Amino acid sequence: MKRVTINPITRLEGHGKIDIFLDEEGNVANTYFQVPELRGFEQFCVGRPAEDMPVITSRICGVCPEAHHMASSKALDRLFGVEPTAAAKKIRELFYMAFFVTDHTTHFYALGGPDFIVGPDAAPGERNLLGVVKKAGLDVGKQVIACRARNHHVIEILGGRGIHPVAGVPGGWSRHVSAAERAEIETIATQNVEFALFTLKLFDQIVLSNPAYLDLIMSDVYHHQTYSMGTVDEQNRLNFYDGKIRIVDPKGREFVKYETADYAQHIAERVEPWTYLKFPYLKKIGWKGFVDGVESGVYTATPLSRLNAADRLATPLAQEHFERFYQTLGAKTVEGRHEPVHYRLATHWARLIELLYAAERMQELARDPEITSPDIRQIPQNIAGEGVGSVEAPRGTLIHHYVSDEKAVLTKVNLVVGTTNNHAAISMSIRKAAEKFIRGFEVVEEGFLNRVEMAFRLYDPCLSCATHTLPGEMPLIVNIRNHQGESLQSLRRDR
Amino acid sequence: MSTIIVGIGNRVLSDDSVGIKVADTLATALRSRSDVVTSELWGGGLRLMETLNGYERAIIIDAIITKDGKPGSVYILKPSDLRQSRNTYSTHDGGFQEALEVGAMLGLNLPPQITIWAVEADDVETYSENLTREVERAVPIVVAGVMRQIGLEEQLTLSVGEQQ
Repeated sequence: MKRVTINPITRLEGHGKIDIFLDEEGNVANTYFQVPELRGFEQFCVGRPAEDMPVITSRICGVCPEAHHMASSKALDRLFGVEPTAAAKKIRELFYMAFFVTDHTTHFYALGGPDFIVGPDAAPGERNLLGVVKKAGLDVGKQVIACRARNHHVIEILGGRGIHPVAGVPGGWSRHVSAAERAEIETIATQNVEFALFTLKLFDQIVLSNPAYLDLIMSDVYHHQTYSMGTVDEQNRLNFYDGKIRIVDPKGREFVKYETADYAQHIAERVEPWTYLKFPYLKKIGWKGFVDGVESGVYTATPLSRLNAADRLATPLAQEHFERFYQTLGAKTVEGRHEPVHYRLATHWARLIELLYAAERMQELARDPEITSPDIRQIPQNIAGEGVGSVEAPRGTLIHHYVSDEKAVLTKVNLVVGTTNNHAAISMSIRKAAEKFIRGFEVVEEGFLNRVEMAFRLYDPCLSCATHTLPGEMPLIVNIRNHQGESLQSLRRDR
Repeated sequence: MSTIIVGIGNRVLSDDSVGIKVADTLATALRSRSDVVTSELWGGGLRLMETLNGYERAIIIDAIITKDGKPGSVYILKPSDLRQSRNTYSTHDGGFQEALEVGAMLGLNLPPQITIWAVEADDVETYSENLTREVERAVPIVVAGVMRQIGLEEQLTLSVGEQQ
């Protein structure tokens, strides 16, 4: 087998590598993606007091400390057998919505969106926020920076600190919301709703009104039929903070709905010899390899899968866009609910609908009279010894599972992070894109690198859990080699 | 001159924490200085640019991995020395150089003077609160260098004296 390597050596926040193996005819035989292995997190945690976990785990990853903080706080609720007060749950969710707004905004404008706004064939140096500002105007850039700033401010007010939140505690939240803070957050939430609508309109103008982009979204290269996972409330509406985990099959029929604590009965992890990465799959279906279909246990946990797994959205404007999404992408109705959309590039659109939902939900919570209640904590009286907590992280369902001794000292820690859910699906998407663009030892299309990256980027994979260490080398190399290891073609992106 | 010192990294990921550890020491040594702010950040792109907004001078301390680099080596860099990838898939909010350009274009008040102190890391993949040996040795060198850079040798002597 021949091997093509795409290896951006180091980047500010982590790095990954894609290996593409060619067969004797020079066509793609297989693709693998790998990220640096981070060693010893479980050992790092075992022996520590469980109540330290919301702060420790928020440091696992600089991109989504808020998600880890929240899943960890919820796991501690269970480990200490305590139910947070109603006000505490609302403050946690309010905090979490501010995080979702800023995270989804950043992904769209700085990472995913540039492929469309600036264009998939634009020079790589233009496909970033800078390119977006040049193309869409200074006002767009100002709005993005303003959106980030005001929501970072909310996260700081509610979370206690700007970067790594500290307010989550078993049984609630350690900081109550004053009347003045509530009013300020309500104003910010309203600005967020306007900004989300503005962003959806921009998406409409630039992407949906462009037949070439719609063709790209609906092309076979970026199409996979897998199971979809997402958290839903009692009415099967999407919820980021709490609910049951629901999985629908590729046709849109409910496959299972379960409590987070039961995750191990439903999800198993496949280990492959070529990587330390684990590939979660549906236990009852089984692992059938990196393949699509009802018979394959592969599932995704992404903004797209969350919309697919929900019957509807809980806020009015987001619900309108939800309906339009399924109408536009041609999904039929099955058993009273929409059929899933499997065009993976539509994940970018789904993410913006989630942005609107998060903004509207933030507004609802900021207007809730109970949000300023001082009754923000139930003091734990017991130690149950085991707790599982989950939330929807921007990149997928995030689960924290802790076991402790009778003094609440940790004896076991297991995390299933958002991106991990999608490892198999990401591998499949990269493979399909590579198959399309490499034939007979040759890269058959200009823009190959970006087409493969687009297959990867739509998942918003969080490899940042790894490291952000400063870059020391050029970011991207593709080598296509013959069986003697001689380079047939070398693509290099260097700046 | 209003100055912000930012230590970048992950506090629990071995050598990745070197920037934060230097910033921690500087924060203690400079606590009486109202014109110097020290801060901690996890990563480089937009968020770093936003953090620097409004200061006249920025000093950034971070881990670095260079080809054939020797762990513990200290480099003093300008933002333009960082050869940025602008289109890899493994990042979350873009590169620093690109973020600085965005900030400048949007009229943000970014420091005209930005210095990056980078320490060659050995291990950035193991969860640990400790630095590896060579990187640990670089900490006082960078602390002293930053103090000298901002003209505060006097405080340096005092703070070293206090520690002893």
